[in-house]
Amino acid sequence: MNFAFLIIVSLIIVTDLFDTISQLILKSSINGLHFPVDSFRKVLSFMLKLALVPRVWLSLLFSSLSLLIWLFVLTKTDLSLAYSLDSMRYVLITFASVAILKERVGAMRLTGIIAVIVGIMLVSHG
Amino acid sequence: MQSKRHLTLGIFLLLASTDLLETLVQFCFKKCALAQAGVVVSTFSQGVAFAGAVLLSPYLWFGLATVFVLFAIWAGVLSRIDLSVAVPVASLSYITIPLVSIIFLHEAVSLLRWIGIAFIIIGVIMVSLSSKEISGAKI
Repeated sequence: MNFAFLIIVSLIIVTDLFDTISQLILKSSINGLHFPVDSFRKVLSFMLKLALVPRVWLSLLFSSLSLLIWLFVLTKTDLSLAYSLDSMRYVLITFASVAILKERVGAMRLTGIIAVIVGIMLVSHG
Repeated sequence: MQSKRHLTLGIFLLLASTDLLETLVQFCFKKCALAQAGVVVSTFSQGVAFAGAVLLSPYLWFGLATVFVLFAIWAGVLSRIDLSVAVPVASLSYITIPLVSIIFLHEAVSLLRWIGIAFIIIGVIMVSLSSKEISGAKI
């Protein structure tokens, strides 16, 4: 466990944290609009309403930072390590969805999410 | 609207399409970058020429337009379903990329990887079904 390895792992944690923050801000902004897009004709007015929510732009900023850090990480480490560690974003997103967005995650959904995480780790390492 | 707040086939297909569009974006940006591969930027005028060449690249604008479409699809989907459903279901790219490698690149896939793919498929099915049982947060 050397210093460079710790830096890479920390950067992957930061990229997943930023991604989670970005998704949280976006989803809470969308929830606040009370505007379900149930036809293609509504997409344009939905996007205009969304663009007028100031914190949506903060969400885009976090998303861009997350992508930049991720691209940097990919140039420095092998893909299997990066992708299997990156599966922690599912843990963060699920935790944040329950704690902050008050989504109800039952046994079925939780088991499904765990299966996805295990699957990604196997695909990345196999 | 509570009754419509679960994952329908249409939303599932939209989520699957984001994976394909994501690949298209990567392809466009890579093409744009490759066109400038040998360019040396050491003076100001070379810098201007480089920026000009990148900005004139149709791949750049097509890629950016696709990013916008991707965002519109993702935001639209999030207006209908829980974040804790959308994110795991969007993990299908972990299956499509190995499958493309197998079918088109004739790569050998280990048993562990096949088991991993099976886990992801089962997980996505379970998360998808869970959105019907619990109709999500009250908003």
